[in-house]
Amino acid sequence: MSGLPLLTLVIFVPLAGALLIAFLPRQRLTWIRWVAFATALLTWVVSLVLLASFDHAATGFQFVETADWVPAFGIQYKLGVDGISLALVVLTTTLTAISILASFGPITDRVKEYMIAFLVLEVGMLGVFLALDTFLFYIFWEIVLVPMYLIIGIWGGANRIYATIKFVLYTLVGSLLMLVAILGIAFSYQLQTGSWAGAFDYESLRGFGFDPTLQFFAFAGFFLAFAIKVPMFPFHTWLPDAHVEAPTAGSVILAGVLLKLGAYGLLRFNLPLFPDAAQQWAPLIIVLSLIAIVYGAIVALVQTDLKKLVAYSSVSHMGFVTLGIFIFQEQGMHGAVLQMVAHGIITGALFLLVGVIYERTHDRTIAKMGGLAGTVPVYSAMLGFFVFASVALPGLAGFVGEFLVLVGAFDYWPVAAATAALAMMLAAAYLLWMYQRVVFGDLSDFLKGLGHHLTDMTRLEIATIAPLVVLTVAFGLFPGLLLELWQSSVTDILTSVAPATVTGIP
Amino acid sequence: MISIDQNTLLALMPPVGLALLAMLIVLVDIARPERDRLVTSVAVSGLLVLMALVVIIGPFKVFDGHVGLLSGPVEVFGGAYVRDSLTALLDLLMLSIALLTVLFGPDYLRPRNLPVAEFGAMLCFAITGALLIGGARDLLLLFIALELLVLPGYMLAGYAKRDGLSTEGAIKYFLLGSFSSAIFLFGLVLVFGYTGTTNIAEVAQAIEATVSAAGFGALAPALLMGLALLTTGAAFKIAAVPFHYWTPDAYQGSPTPVTGYLSVGPKVAAFALILRLFVEALGGLKEDWTPLVVVLAAATMTLGNLVALTQDNIKRMLAYSSIAHTGYIMVGLAAFGAAPDGSPLESDGLFGVLFYSVAYSFMNLGAFACVAALQRRPGVTSQLTTFSGLGRRAPGLALLMTLFLLSLIGIPPLAGFWAKVGVILPALQIGGWLTILAVLTMLNAAVAAFYYLRVIIYMYMRDAPEGAPPVNVGKTTQAGLAVAGIATLFIWVPPFTTILIEVSEEAARALL
Repeated sequence: MSGLPLLTLVIFVPLAGALLIAFLPRQRLTWIRWVAFATALLTWVVSLVLLASFDHAATGFQFVETADWVPAFGIQYKLGVDGISLALVVLTTTLTAISILASFGPITDRVKEYMIAFLVLEVGMLGVFLALDTFLFYIFWEIVLVPMYLIIGIWGGANRIYATIKFVLYTLVGSLLMLVAILGIAFSYQLQTGSWAGAFDYESLRGFGFDPTLQFFAFAGFFLAFAIKVPMFPFHTWLPDAHVEAPTAGSVILAGVLLKLGAYGLLRFNLPLFPDAAQQWAPLIIVLSLIAIVYGAIVALVQTDLKKLVAYSSVSHMGFVTLGIFIFQEQGMHGAVLQMVAHGIITGALFLLVGVIYERTHDRTIAKMGGLAGTVPVYSAMLGFFVFASVALPGLAGFVGEFLVLVGAFDYWPVAAATAALAMMLAAAYLLWMYQRVVFGDLSDFLKGLGHHLTDMTRLEIATIAPLVVLTVAFGLFPGLLLELWQSSVTDILTSVAPATVTGIP
Repeated sequence: MISIDQNTLLALMPPVGLALLAMLIVLVDIARPERDRLVTSVAVSGLLVLMALVVIIGPFKVFDGHVGLLSGPVEVFGGAYVRDSLTALLDLLMLSIALLTVLFGPDYLRPRNLPVAEFGAMLCFAITGALLIGGARDLLLLFIALELLVLPGYMLAGYAKRDGLSTEGAIKYFLLGSFSSAIFLFGLVLVFGYTGTTNIAEVAQAIEATVSAAGFGALAPALLMGLALLTTGAAFKIAAVPFHYWTPDAYQGSPTPVTGYLSVGPKVAAFALILRLFVEALGGLKEDWTPLVVVLAAATMTLGNLVALTQDNIKRMLAYSSIAHTGYIMVGLAAFGAAPDGSPLESDGLFGVLFYSVAYSFMNLGAFACVAALQRRPGVTSQLTTFSGLGRRAPGLALLMTLFLLSLIGIPPLAGFWAKVGVILPALQIGGWLTILAVLTMLNAAVAAFYYLRVIIYMYMRDAPEGAPPVNVGKTTQAGLAVAGIATLFIWVPPFTTILIEVSEEAARALL
């Protein structure tokens, strides 16, 4: 197994699938769909092989592949995986496969282009998680942008063009400044070592110890890009628009993976590369995270559109992730990473379920719904399950992450923990209130008018949701499976940024 | 003696060959009138032969070894013309621009009953001027070559003589162009009057001697005046703000393939002129012209992008976007200027200029070629709405246009991205004001994304108007688009990147 370049394989299997689809005749919708799904499934299998052959005990990066790319500037094609990125890689391959399956029904127009865009998107996302060269990382980071722009803009809702332009411009402003920061630190490295070799290599940049002023600005450059993607509080306004207009599968990937790219970037780059600046910036970021947690929840409370409600809940949930990262504390960081995975699964599932009802009603207004329980019991049960998971019901995946973050936050600053806990109550309020209005009571007139169009979930739809149910329960009951996977990576990051807080296995 | 003669011959072969090719095209047209295809194939094969010749003659330095018959710079005509690595690189680039334009032209011109042969011939004459600029080491030759470059350009701009807009654009281009040539010439005269020589190396020496002896203040007012006039003239030619006013009208009015050429050929040649004149001859004064370049670069990219935002005509939009790209290229020039004397950053900045010019040529020509292909049928406007629903009507063309636009934004791994990295990297290394300029470049790239993406929105996210005519891309255009597309898409492939970087770095070093 060790002979195969597994990481290159996992990144470029989707690209090969996309090329294959490009040569399929446009009218053969079934072929195109199944080739896309088979590709995603194959990628998923490769990622599982990766998971199986990953050495949990070892520290540092595994399966590292290095090749010179632009030797004149020390730019390399360098990939590697640690516990955190591995978990996110598997999350990505899982959600992509599910999203492609979930697109079989809703996407009937330009299926070929859609599937190609989706697979290219997967290439970009996996590349971001696996790149160990800052330049390569940037390239994959930008590659993600284009297919998502097309997915929202072509297959989205009525106001899709506004939403997609907003999404791209926000992200682009952040990422272009990140490029400046990447080049800036590479140059500083070159100046001090006298050679370009390793100037973009993550492993040599890490622990290099940059000058404090440079750290401060470079941190800001990276942080802006990642904060927009997460999205953190003042940079979040693109998210509700993008989510509302995106097609269902687009929303799933957006919430499930794209937001994690930002959080992953913070963990991978901002903390280890600029530890001093991270300490300086942390208080501000913690306050912004708390604002995001509370503000997202309050705004979600008043939403009238199902999808927008879930979108704002994402802002709130992702606030827990950034909070967990920047308290520099072991439980907090474990919680943050776990919350990334759990949010990906749970919110992904919620968007899928919103998509299911939208398919039937072509409407997402909460006020028009009501009484679904009697007509579509399976759907109602599924929705209920994930609503509770999102509320962070103990025993389900959402709980463990938020709980760990709260424990860490209490240790750091009790007020932070109290504020975040308040938001968890708000989460219960907005989600359960939504559930009550949509599912209980008498069947609304609007839904009555649909007559026999209001059917329960099809087998295909159940097939897309079922794996997420299993994962939510599994990670809720056995979070140790995941925590152990990234234990050494979390310790590593914490050692670089705040050595005093590392206490060992929690 | 014989060996010297042989080298002279080799050094002069590309420009002389191109002038001969231009005449051959005219002769073929006289002998066999109305045989457009024959003319095109003569022009294309001639250009390909010349490109092969440039590679064979060299001198290129790749992987620490010389490639080509010449092993080093060769001066001819008593030092008036030189063939060094920079000349060779610029020759290749200018010939590629000519080749692509010759491929894009006929499909647009023929349906409008515009003659193809004269188009090819004038283009080749113009590019001959560009080749001479690339190797000019003499102020007089520089000026004559510049005029040889721009005069056919005026004619090409007014090529559709029955079209009011084309004539208007050509007149504006001609008046402002000759005006700026006069300013430029006056500047040359003043420099000559001060230094007493037209040889660039001797000019450089004379200036360096004065500056190192008594500092900048010791320079005669006449020389300063000359410097100011030269800067103005050059800024006109590259269309830098505030000397850019001729661009949008000239670009919008010209036949689209000509617009593509105008946005690339004269601009790159003018940057070649800047390299030969400002870097080589006036390099000693760089501390004095650098602040000006920094300001001009910032103003050029920002204004170009902001005005491009509001354009609904794609040719005007690309015209303003090309102004913005001028600003980006000038960042490399500013980096050269701000770099300490003798540091490797000097050649890094020039490398940025050259690399950006190469990338820009292919992606911008490609974008204009897509517009030209769409407008093949006479009467199709260049409004943005023409692109509505192109994703369905002509998927291949729409995909290529998307590729060029994404590259113009600077999305990796396309050519435009590497080009931007090439100019901002040295700027960041120098620090200070240049860091701010680099950040401004990136913010501008984000602004530019908005209007480039608008075209993609029209192509993929809007439906075609009722009864939109089918799009039929001609054979030669397809070939040209394939070349431009491959260059834009695969610039990052390792051996190709490495060769391009090494050749451009060597060319940059040739100047210092």
